[in-house]
Amino acid sequence: MSACDRAIEYIYQYIDDELTVTRRTRIQWHLKRCSSCMDAFTFETQLKERIAIGGRTEPSEELFDTLRALIQQERKDTDPDC
Amino acid sequence: MADQANFETDAMQYASQLYSAALRMTRNPADAEDVVQETYLKAFRAYGSFEEGTNLKAWLYRILTNTYINKYRKAQRRPQEVELGELQDLYLYKRLGEQSGASRSAEVEALDMFVDDDIVAAIESLPENFRLPVLYADVEGFSYKEIAEILDVPIGTVMSRLHRGRKALQRKLWSVAVDRGIVEPES
Repeated sequence: MSACDRAIEYIYQYIDDELTVTRRTRIQWHLKRCSSCMDAFTFETQLKERIAIGGRTEPSEELFDTLRALIQQERKDTDPDC
Repeated sequence: MADQANFETDAMQYASQLYSAALRMTRNPADAEDVVQETYLKAFRAYGSFEEGTNLKAWLYRILTNTYINKYRKAQRRPQEVELGELQDLYLYKRLGEQSGASRSAEVEALDMFVDDDIVAAIESLPENFRLPVLYADVEGFSYKEIAEILDVPIGTVMSRLHRGRKALQRKLWSVAVDRGIVEPES
């Protein structure tokens, strides 16, 4: 297995910050020397960021009011003195 | 033990994120609101048993996930397991690279061509056993350990589903890009 194959094998764990310091350092060492792996790592990192932004949808403001009302009601139902 | 009196102060800050995750699970705003409401009610009732200082966000996501599964997967106790077949590593990066030829940063620039609806369509296209880990890692930023706790599966299972789910997500993003004419189909 080449150094590049090894780096790519751990690409997601690297991006997700799930590697031991030793392995992380070893990969950083490789990336400094290998621009083609560095490009792939940069792409996967930016793709993850893009998914984080694009995958998020904001609720309507009413949802917060509904949730608060729901909890209030539950308080009243379970504790009449509340 | 957590005090029910503080529930709103502690838990309401996660409502937006929980709604967004519920929407990716149910793919429907009305169902997503139902799941979130049920989640908050269950969380409030159980808040006395939540250990203060531990991971409240992960605890809420666990309730959300179970609520979703119980509500929409009643017939099967566990979500249906779907396999994806063999998928290439760095699928999207390699396809985009074939397009752009010599230009080095073209793959990264190509990411700007995707609109949010493309990302949503790609996530929502994934089978459930892959969609939830991808959603929790990529969108919610949970660690593997947290995802394992939320989904109640071993960490190794999280890693393999995440790995395969991300490949499938990339394949879908590529087909979305082809459909929208952002890229040329493979010759």
